[in-house]
Amino acid sequence: MTETRPLLEARQVFKGFFGNPVLKGVDIALHPGRVHALLGENGAGKSTLINLLSGALQPDSGTILVDGRPVGRFSPAAARAAGIAVVQQELSLTADLSIAENIGLGAFPRRFGLIDYAALQKGVGEVCAMVGLTEPLDMPVADLSLGRRQMVEIAKALFRKPRVLILDEPTSSLSAHEAGILARLIGTLRDRGTALLYISHRLNEVQALCAHVTVLKDGGVTADQSLAGIDGEGLVRLMVGRETGDLFPPRSVNVSGATRISVEKFSAGLMREIGFSARAGEIVGIGGLVGQGQEDLLLGLYGAIPARADHAEVSGLPRLPAHVGEANAAGIVYVPADRKHEGLVLPHSIAVNLILPSLGRLARRGFRDRAAEAGLIADLARRLTIKGDVARPVQALSGGNQQKVALAKWLPLDPSILLLNDPTRGVDIETKREIYLMLRAFATEGRLVILASSDTPELVHLCDRVVVLREGRVAARLSGAAISEEAIVGAAMGIHEQGEAA
Amino acid sequence: MSAVPSSGWLYGAIQRGRNRGLGGLYLVVAAFLVLYAVLFPGILSVSGFSKFTQNWFPLALVTMAQALLMLNGGITLAIGPLVSLGAVIAATTMGGALGVPGGILAVALAGLAIGAVTGAIVAHLRLPAIIVTLAGSFIITGVALILLPRPGGFIPDWLSTTLAGHTPVAFLLLVAILLAWKAFLATPLGIGIYAAGDNPIGAFRSGVPVERVKIVAFALSGLLAALAGLFVAAQTGSGDPVIGTPFTLNSIAAAVLGGVGFLGGKGTMRGAICGSLLLSVMINVMFFLGFPPVAQYVAQGLIIVGAVAVPELLKQWRARR
Repeated sequence: MTETRPLLEARQVFKGFFGNPVLKGVDIALHPGRVHALLGENGAGKSTLINLLSGALQPDSGTILVDGRPVGRFSPAAARAAGIAVVQQELSLTADLSIAENIGLGAFPRRFGLIDYAALQKGVGEVCAMVGLTEPLDMPVADLSLGRRQMVEIAKALFRKPRVLILDEPTSSLSAHEAGILARLIGTLRDRGTALLYISHRLNEVQALCAHVTVLKDGGVTADQSLAGIDGEGLVRLMVGRETGDLFPPRSVNVSGATRISVEKFSAGLMREIGFSARAGEIVGIGGLVGQGQEDLLLGLYGAIPARADHAEVSGLPRLPAHVGEANAAGIVYVPADRKHEGLVLPHSIAVNLILPSLGRLARRGFRDRAAEAGLIADLARRLTIKGDVARPVQALSGGNQQKVALAKWLPLDPSILLLNDPTRGVDIETKREIYLMLRAFATEGRLVILASSDTPELVHLCDRVVVLREGRVAARLSGAAISEEAIVGAAMGIHEQGEAA
Repeated sequence: MSAVPSSGWLYGAIQRGRNRGLGGLYLVVAAFLVLYAVLFPGILSVSGFSKFTQNWFPLALVTMAQALLMLNGGITLAIGPLVSLGAVIAATTMGGALGVPGGILAVALAGLAIGAVTGAIVAHLRLPAIIVTLAGSFIITGVALILLPRPGGFIPDWLSTTLAGHTPVAFLLLVAILLAWKAFLATPLGIGIYAAGDNPIGAFRSGVPVERVKIVAFALSGLLAALAGLFVAAQTGSGDPVIGTPFTLNSIAAAVLGGVGFLGGKGTMRGAICGSLLLSVMINVMFFLGFPPVAQYVAQGLIIVGAVAVPELLKQWRARR
């Protein structure tokens, strides 16, 4: 590899918020024609670094260099002018505007001061072809699934013809098919000489796509090296200094007990007449491409959306729970994927969030029992290793710790069935490990854990059984040695349907 | 609408797409217009049509003023006072040295300036629009009362006859204003109103000057409201410092009837215009049928709640099937 001049570089940048240092002297250099991985746990400073590189924030000290020249005040506009584009985790789309208008937003071709729709159509058509978006360009973004919106977001970045493209967890809501398109696209851009920065919690993607890695830990760089010769375990060691071996807890030996869920011809939302059963003590994974009915299966079992089944036994009930209250009373709890909107009351304190489901139970003569609440909060915080002051608002926590709060709040109900929707999405590896341990411990205690996940390694290594959904039906039921990434992805893509060994 | 024509008229396809979901509203508006024409066939003459559109015109303008801000994720409670102020400024300046052109200019500048200042406060201090415009409404009402403590002032007769006579000048003005709006919406700044309303952070990251968009939206809104006041002054032949009061809530009602959402980025200006037409026709029908005023208010409220509830019920009903 010949040494080139970096297109974009940060040298010894420091950045703190309210006296709390986040970046402590970070160096990073993005070279043309190279895919650079940025790894680090949540809270390590990745987002802050991206914001510095894209001009959204100014460093407290240190310099940002474009083409080797230091830039004084680096604004988002200056970054765009320098050809730097960012695909953020949070989408920047407007639901009511069309795909074309969304992609062109902020960079519209103009004629006589008006948007030149003909030129827009041409330019947008090109980038949509690159990312495999075949939907009509006049379709409002509101009509697209989350994964397709992510592709629009990527097309939007490409529309600006960037020299430097920063991708922040671009695959978190993509199906395997879309992720494949993105991987090929990254290869094409790299060969054209674009400098790419790729942030992901999925290490296999990092290994497959990236040539160089910078690892951030607690605001400092712990590694800045070529990825050649480093395997997945090596990557994890760079991030946490721990073997992958203990990322996933060992499976327990045949603890499955009584049947907790048994449904026949179950339909809810996208789910079409599936049969499903699970026993106490199991972790059952639900896999598949994004949006194949995974969430509807969980919500239907939880009584949150209308569901019907020819025969159903759920947690001792002789039928499906009619509503959430009945499900909770029967010991069924649900942890949503969108913790920020559905799982937590963000501006409220950790303590309030933790006791929310227990408020009714803890009341005495209709009034709140502060002493009992305080005891419960302390106990939960200890069991879930939630560090620090529980009076802080939940939104001050990192994604991983927020997820722990969303999970912990149900424990006082002593649930017998936990329905979890993608609990580790956007969660750093250390917290992931803690969550996995916790889930395995729940199963060992005789609870049933049902885990819908978009993270295939998690399904393979954590779950006792895996049910793969495709278009609202069961594409495969895998257990024991039959669970492998190939089998799950294959079934999800509809390549081969197999396994009735449930 | 399922595919963009490959020869490429993307703009047309997008415009057709914006009619989606408005079919029901168009039907209801058409039905009310037919009912109106049956009840009062006078509307079918040039003079009747002119009078009808003159009744509608100020409401159409203030609804645009309101919808503009609601699409941008805001709202304004200062519409009514701005209408009053517009009327007062028109009635106090047109007799002066600069005459009618000077008066129109003064009204337009006052609307733009007040809007821009309000917008700057909302955008740069990040204060909620509802509070800032509430405060603004008191201030503007006060200023209008200082300028003209009781109804009066001077509007030349020829202006009243031109705008509010037996010719459809008001309707043509409305068409012109709508065309100007369409042109504005086809500029990056215009599209920015939607984008910044629905997803301000995303719009900012995309390079939309979110603050400037907001200030422009408030300024245009102020301009429209003040011009509505000028028209009302011409209609009544004088300035009245409290004449605009009902317009504040009616503008919100009409925008909501037209399907404009409260959270920004949802809805269309064509919907809002239809909403204002519907509200105007309903008020007229009830008035001419001799409904007592109290019953009119109750009916108006019920219709508005119904208008937002029915689509929601339909959606739930469809989802269940």
